[in-house]
Amino acid sequence: MNSQILINYIAFPLIKIAILLAAVFTVVAYIVLVERRLLGFFQSRLGPNRVGPLGLIQPVADGLKLFLKEDLIPTNANPFIFKIAPIFSFFPPFVGFAVLTFALPLIMPSGKMHQFAVADVDLGILLILSLSSLGIFGIILAGWSSGSKYPLFGSLRSASQMLAYEIPLTLSVISVIMMAGSFRLSDIVTAQQTYKFYFIIPGIVAFFVYLISVVAETNRTPFDLPEGESEIIGFHTEYSGMRFAFFFMAEYANVVLICMLTPALFLGGYDIPFLNDLELYKTHPYLVNVLGFLSYAAKSTLFAYFYIWIRATFPRYRYDQLLKVGWSVLFPISLLNLFLVALIKLFLMK
Amino acid sequence: MQNEKPSHLKELVETREFELNMGPQHPATHGVYRAILTLDGERIQKLNSVVGYLHRGIEKWAEYRTWQQATPIFDRLDYLSAVINCHGYVGAVEKLLQVEIPKKAEYMRVICDELQRIASHLLWFGTHALDIGAMSVLFYGVREREAIIDLFEAHFGQRLLYNAYPIGGVRLDFPKGWIQACRKFLNTFNSRIDEYEALLTENRIWKQRTIGVGVISKEDAIAYGLSGPTLRGSGVYFDVRKSIPYSAYPDFDFEIPLGKNGDVYDRYLCRIREMRQSVRIINQALDGMPEGELKGKVPKIIRSPQGEVYFTVEGSKGQLGFYIVSDGKDKPFRVHIKSPSFINLQGLDVMSKNQLIADMVAIIGSIDIVLGEVDR
Repeated sequence: MNSQILINYIAFPLIKIAILLAAVFTVVAYIVLVERRLLGFFQSRLGPNRVGPLGLIQPVADGLKLFLKEDLIPTNANPFIFKIAPIFSFFPPFVGFAVLTFALPLIMPSGKMHQFAVADVDLGILLILSLSSLGIFGIILAGWSSGSKYPLFGSLRSASQMLAYEIPLTLSVISVIMMAGSFRLSDIVTAQQTYKFYFIIPGIVAFFVYLISVVAETNRTPFDLPEGESEIIGFHTEYSGMRFAFFFMAEYANVVLICMLTPALFLGGYDIPFLNDLELYKTHPYLVNVLGFLSYAAKSTLFAYFYIWIRATFPRYRYDQLLKVGWSVLFPISLLNLFLVALIKLFLMK
Repeated sequence: MQNEKPSHLKELVETREFELNMGPQHPATHGVYRAILTLDGERIQKLNSVVGYLHRGIEKWAEYRTWQQATPIFDRLDYLSAVINCHGYVGAVEKLLQVEIPKKAEYMRVICDELQRIASHLLWFGTHALDIGAMSVLFYGVREREAIIDLFEAHFGQRLLYNAYPIGGVRLDFPKGWIQACRKFLNTFNSRIDEYEALLTENRIWKQRTIGVGVISKEDAIAYGLSGPTLRGSGVYFDVRKSIPYSAYPDFDFEIPLGKNGDVYDRYLCRIREMRQSVRIINQALDGMPEGELKGKVPKIIRSPQGEVYFTVEGSKGQLGFYIVSDGKDKPFRVHIKSPSFINLQGLDVMSKNQLIADMVAIIGSIDIVLGEVDR
């Protein structure tokens, strides 16, 4: 009895967490490389291709370099807050991965079903949203505690930026939740499988609002205001070495998380396009697992490419303009859309 | 935009202005330029320019060189348009010596000057866009600039500072195949500008960031003595090539693009259109290239007559003037440079009043300063 609890509630989740973390760290490290190489191709240059074949060992070299750097704390800084700020930024996106579901449940030989998620909790999407807001605290604290003027601007901008995008983002996610009738991510995907259409079709407006707000959420061009490298250098100006690496990894972990969340919400997640998954699952469960996982990965990659493409193309917004866009364009649109989706849900999606 | 604080807040919260030191090490100041900003939030109340971090004493240095020896150091003024700087100095000395320059040499000078103008504008284009956050554009601009630099390398033998012209003409004829290569570049270049414009000119974000930002009125622009595209962006028709014609420019048919509102966007459009006009000039010069001598009659050892001379050319940043005093020896007595970047920079204070820091970065980009020229 005791050993059963040990296996089910401690050992098994720990193994899952270990696998997930390893995978996520690898993906985060390599999305940096992919981005740099893709930007290279966008910009008629090669990108990093020297370390290892195709530059594949570049992330290791980057990490090692940052690891060997001196850890500086400015005299003016508040050392305690300065030290905990990177952690605040770092952990939320990684925790967020816990609630993602990667495929339909795995059927064990014993007949038991195992979710492809560390914790498929019933408030999954809310957890991700709140964690991502928590991550902003890292930025605000970092800028504020650095004891330097440029980072302070970064954190002020971050605070005002959060007000601009969080509400449209949440409203557009709510429209998905309404359609699915659940906060649980696996339920949202299953709902799309049973309705046999993806939520992007009724929620096309929500989808675009979401896409825009999410760029602001991950602090990337055209909304990379807290960083704004050509203006205020960024909230992490005073950070060096591994503390800087934490912010850096957090940013990319956020990107990966968003790239995996977007298909789950709007494009059917691990649903395989043009196939009746649920039917096929009854006869060939493992095949559906593998194909579903691959389709999920493909959809996420598509979004990752999309975000890198955006970064290569657009100039940066000014922070008062972002506020204007957020409050006077995105907010009313997403509110209207919420109403529209409610009507669709009421009359068309029975 | 500048809101008065509600009265009940005034009593509760003490607000004060904030000083921010921007530069000399800052990615957007285009070199070692330092601005001390007095801020209200992110809004600039006062801008105090501090220059001189790149002062190398070029004017003084020239007094210790013979007339010919002094030529290459002026390349180091605005190191992005070395050819035009050289033309300015050489032209001033020629005016002092009253040398007749062969027509062919003048045409070749115009071709190189205009290529250099395009190259300089291309780098401005890239860095200006990078300041506003559009990173890819930089690399496209650099790619075309590379083609021009290759042409210069074939002709002058150098890639950045060319020591382009000797006093009296040009050193060598264009090498074999150079004119074809130049034409090939020009043929593709116009369509390339179209591509760049597709990325920015009608881009909503770009327009929001630049229209109505950094406005300087016609009157202010003249009063501050601005020149070049920075002046023409405000709608003032002044271009040395047309207003005080020099070299072979009267032979060619080209327009001077003008802005209307004097904001960052107008200055951007001015420079983009100027590149197209430069292509026009070069094409005409290549078509009408006369045959003849490369160099006028200039003695090997120059002893200039006593006197003073002022000669200006249209540099890529504005009106570049050389004021030279000679006391009849083999060296200049005094060389003074009217450098457009330095004078244009004075307009920054007016342009960035009540703008945000992000705007100021855009404005610095739109003035197109090169610190080598500001500090001399």
